Amino acid sequence: MSQITLTGVSRAFGKVGVLHDINLDILDGELIVFVGPSGCGKSTLLRLIAGLDRPTGGAIAIDGKDVTTVPAADRGLAMVFQSYALYPHMSVRQNLAFGLENARMARAEIDARIAEAARMLEIAPYLDRRPGQLSGGQRQRVAIGRAIVRNPTAFLLDEPLSNLDAELRISTRAELAALHERLSATMVYVTHDQIEAMTLADRIVVLRAGRIEQIGTPLDLYNHPANLFVAGFIGAPRMNLLPVKVAPGGTGRSSLTLDGSAGFEIDGNVSAVNGDVTLGLRPHHISLADAGKGDITAHVALVEALGSETIVHTKTSGGQTMLAVVAGQCAVASGDTVDLKFDTSHLHLFDDTGLRIGVS
Amino acid sequence: MGDVRNGIATRAGAMLLAPVGWLANVFDAPLRMLQRRTGSNGMAVFFLAPNMLVFGIFVLFPLVINILYSMTGGGALFLGDRTFVGADQYGRLFSCGSYLDPKSCTEDLFWIAVWNTLTFVVLQVAMMVAVALVTALVLNRELRARSFWRAVFFFPVLLSPVVVGLIWRWILQRQGLLNLMVFEAGGTPVNWLVERNWAFAATIMVSVWAHVGFYALILLAGLQAIPKDLYEAAEMDGTRPMRVFWRITLPLLAPNLLVVLVLTLIRAVQIFDEVYVLTGGGPGTSTLFLTQYIYEVGFASLLRNPGLASAASILMGAVLVVLTLIQLGIARRNEQRGKTR
Repeated sequence: MSQITLTGVSRAFGKVGVLHDINLDILDGELIVFVGPSGCGKSTLLRLIAGLDRPTGGAIAIDGKDVTTVPAADRGLAMVFQSYALYPHMSVRQNLAFGLENARMARAEIDARIAEAARMLEIAPYLDRRPGQLSGGQRQRVAIGRAIVRNPTAFLLDEPLSNLDAELRISTRAELAALHERLSATMVYVTHDQIEAMTLADRIVVLRAGRIEQIGTPLDLYNHPANLFVAGFIGAPRMNLLPVKVAPGGTGRSSLTLDGSAGFEIDGNVSAVNGDVTLGLRPHHISLADAGKGDITAHVALVEALGSETIVHTKTSGGQTMLAVVAGQCAVASGDTVDLKFDTSHLHLFDDTGLRIGVS
Repeated sequence: MGDVRNGIATRAGAMLLAPVGWLANVFDAPLRMLQRRTGSNGMAVFFLAPNMLVFGIFVLFPLVINILYSMTGGGALFLGDRTFVGADQYGRLFSCGSYLDPKSCTEDLFWIAVWNTLTFVVLQVAMMVAVALVTALVLNRELRARSFWRAVFFFPVLLSPVVVGLIWRWILQRQGLLNLMVFEAGGTPVNWLVERNWAFAATIMVSVWAHVGFYALILLAGLQAIPKDLYEAAEMDGTRPMRVFWRITLPLLAPNLLVVLVLTLIRAVQIFDEVYVLTGGGPGTSTLFLTQYIYEVGFASLLRNPGLASAASILMGAVLVVLTLIQLGIARRNEQRGKTR
């Protein structure tokens, strides 16, 4: 197992900078997830760690040893590719053995490792098949098996679930979490799917445009997003973000006014330039209230009844879209007027630069 | 700007299609009537007829005539004036004390040509596949001006075989460019096209030079179809470059290599034009190949024998049919593999 340290890592292709000054400590045995939208540099960062690409600045260390210029094969890492990258002309057994044969390992040891991985991943019945004769899920297991047999110091996984259908993705996700638990291995996992990140990660690194936006545990990021980007990216459905005016309220309280219409008060003082802030409120923290008892009134634009919960899309009088997730099933329909009640203990505020502001 | 361009393109398309539409309207009624009378199978025959007619006149008919010629004797040109001899021409071709010794054969030139062609095929095919593979591997790398180099290697393919022959004769003849360079370098000029072994080697080298671009292109397409991920996985696995080549590149390139091998084989068996211009089959009979033998016997010699030439061409055709069937089999197998992969 190993600890990976990135210090001031950057990568540019010509004049185009893809990663800028990345500083990160990946702890021993940790499952860390790089998440971000397409083109944010998460796969490039993984490739730099793997040694498949070289940084244009900064240093990468594994267990304190600088590996910035060390070839991929000598870093002791194993990678699971998005496309699985299984050799199509070799059987599953040959695919698993290939890397070990390169290391001139004894045949008996190779066979033992393959047997152990096959047992762990339940791929023993397919060992003599070729990848073309396997389903997507089975190929995915073989790709993980190929990484496991090498007994690496850390696993690098590049969007390993993105080629699976929705149902298989959920079950494989759980299997991956169990595998991490069993192996206690350091794993670096890249995905653009924030649900995957939330469910798998010990810590999440949110990237945007080649920069780290925030690092933290899934609940840290969910409960205390550092900025508007993280607030909008983490959580589904995404957080409602609305411009509000803040003003001093009663003693030790602040008054927030939405759309210039009715406002509501929260505990604590908020300091903001010109009083302009962005209010962030997750849909799960908005409920439907009895007439006249809500914080604001809105028109229902769409209702998505999922059975266990109902997602209500509303429009405020100022034309802002606001989503509310109501537990269970509720009798509202498009065109209705509803009162929305905010759970102000879960409210987030961001200043005009997008950074989180505290309530004192 | 884009809208304007699209508008012009749409209008130009409409103007071009207008006559097609008009013709379709004109032929619509008679074609419908024909279909009512002949049925849909009849319509298929109707539409295929022009192509079948051309195929019949220029391929099928000459083939049948050729078979008939191979069963006749004498020097007369018209089939009606020729004497039926059955399989005598084939018998003459195969009349040998030992097939390994052409001098013991009644038709010694035929067997000289057969052995020359076989030697040529073995050496040229091996060299062609090897050079095409190396060229494709080099052109597949991240080279500066890669497109330019690809064009350079493909350029000879565009030349007429006669031009290829003439260029290389100019280079290889006694007072040619190569000897000039050898002389300038302090060496002794060689009679490249007069000495038997050098002349034979020249035919192989020239044909490889002329066609390697085409085969390299097929292999290059195969190389580019190999996913980059596989090489990265191999890199992560610590695979040495030669092992990557033998265990990943070569097996995944095998379908393309087989196609190149069979196409090269077919073309090597048919070799004629550039060699005829380059050496004329000489010195002596050292570069006399099967097609030239057929041409000489059928058309160019004083005692021409169209029957014997036809028999030899039928035998060569049989070899080519076998090779073509192998190629079709490979193509079909690749197609099926592509579906299951």
